[in-house]
Amino acid sequence: MSRAGQERLINAILYGSVAAVLIFFYIPIFTLIAFSFQEGRYLILPFQGLSLHWYGELFRNSSAATALWNSTLIAFVAMIFSTILGTAAAIVAVRYRFRGKLAFLGLSGAPLAFPQLLMGIVLLLWFSVLGRWLGFNNGLVTAIIGHVVYITPFAMIIVAVQVFNFDASLEDAARDCGARPWEVYRYVTIPLLWPGIFSAAIFSFLLSWGNFYLTYSLAGATRTLPTFVFSGIATGSSPLYPAMATVVFIPGIVLVMVADALRRRAARRLA
Amino acid sequence: MIGEGEPRRWAQPELWAKALPSVALQSLFFLAPLIMTVLLTFQETRSFMLQWAWSLKVWTEIFSKPHYWTVLWHTLWMSALCVALCILIALPVAYALATRLQSLSGHVKVLITFAFLTDMTLKTFGWVLFLDQKGAANFLLEKIGFPPAMIGFLYTDWATLLGMVYNLLAFTIFTIYLSIANIDRSLILAAYDAGAGKWRAFWEVTLPLCRPGIWTGAVLVFLLSVGVFLEPKVLGGGKSPMSAELIRQTFETRVNWPLGAALTIVLMVVAVFVILLFSRVYSLRRYGAAA
Repeated sequence: MSRAGQERLINAILYGSVAAVLIFFYIPIFTLIAFSFQEGRYLILPFQGLSLHWYGELFRNSSAATALWNSTLIAFVAMIFSTILGTAAAIVAVRYRFRGKLAFLGLSGAPLAFPQLLMGIVLLLWFSVLGRWLGFNNGLVTAIIGHVVYITPFAMIIVAVQVFNFDASLEDAARDCGARPWEVYRYVTIPLLWPGIFSAAIFSFLLSWGNFYLTYSLAGATRTLPTFVFSGIATGSSPLYPAMATVVFIPGIVLVMVADALRRRAARRLA
Repeated sequence: MIGEGEPRRWAQPELWAKALPSVALQSLFFLAPLIMTVLLTFQETRSFMLQWAWSLKVWTEIFSKPHYWTVLWHTLWMSALCVALCILIALPVAYALATRLQSLSGHVKVLITFAFLTDMTLKTFGWVLFLDQKGAANFLLEKIGFPPAMIGFLYTDWATLLGMVYNLLAFTIFTIYLSIANIDRSLILAAYDAGAGKWRAFWEVTLPLCRPGIWTGAVLVFLLSVGVFLEPKVLGGGKSPMSAELIRQTFETRVNWPLGAALTIVLMVVAVFVILLFSRVYSLRRYGAAA
């Protein structure tokens, strides 16, 4: 085959694979959006008609609203804790060299590669034993703890990338000019790390918001969106879910785009 | 060099303040629960109540019933297939993201990230609507004049596998992309200068250099895929349970905590063992090639 022909074939494979994967990723998402506008009670094609009927039902459904509120609350609290812990861990991981660093990295990164359902079960056992001693039940708080354990390593990795690209001499300069340690943090370190911290926060929020396995094991009787949907589709599909999915997609795509815009701006500033 | 601090010791209070919170979190809510789970496997259960009595009853049951091991074997096979598919699909995509697409690359990454972060249960349910006999796939096929092809695909192991690849593919795309993006372009240009074609340069320069990304992605996807139970239940119809489903049932329906804990430990130990085995074979092969 000629050089040019070979080149064309390679490009076709590469661009084709990207297009195919994007289509693959968006098949269920667009299917859900399409089904959300159907009128009938059964989720089958062809549609009986097009309407916004199920959106209205969704907003009148109080357990869906509670689930949405719980998801948002858990995600917000989990986001704050995982971002703070992840940022501190990222600074330690990149900026310090010390004995036992490998153990530190292993311990802080381990939950990332642990199957979520199993982590949920292991934590459930732990909370049940602790709960019997200390007299508490599983609910919002235990779910939040589970989410923080799982999400902190993600936040750590995202912030670590930012710390890695960060010129440590800027901190030294501030120190030489007489800044106290907390002033160095307040005016130099945190502002420079901000884009990374912010993307970590958004990522954490979304990871927690869409989390199924940990909530399923740890939230007790509290329902979040994913477990609400699961309990519905385990017993039979309801025409409510496509509408719900479509509503959930909107803040998700907006947040991902905001995170990306911030990352770009930070990259431009570095260049 | 940028980002390199001078060596520090644990004695520094600054380091303590930053490392302690996450160390405490992971020790208290990851390590300690894990240790307790191991201890739980040596307890007994009587009429659905946990008894703190040291015994090996659970372990003798696990090693005497072949059912647990057939389910585990099935799980390992599904996970291995899932890893292979994720790597094969992610390679060209990650390569294209890193080397082609220029300005489009950012948008594609946003689209992939969004699809990855969206609620897993909803996406999996979306596949059911798509693959169902009266679902979107068959409807579209009929519209363009083909016979419906999606008969008997949903609620099989293949549908489960599709869901697993769908939910885990992004991990391999990200890890492989990062390792390709970090490759020094001049190494590839040097290969061209030495007369290598595109394929040869890819095969002998790019692929070996992105091995860490492939390896990390494979380990991550493997560990995560042995623990799935959403996909087998929703897409596989719960007909051929995988280990995670078995564990869930042991906890929820049979309320046998020691047995469930033991099955959890077995699954994790076997998964880690498989990874160690592969990394051993892998490094031996590399060593052999170098010698």
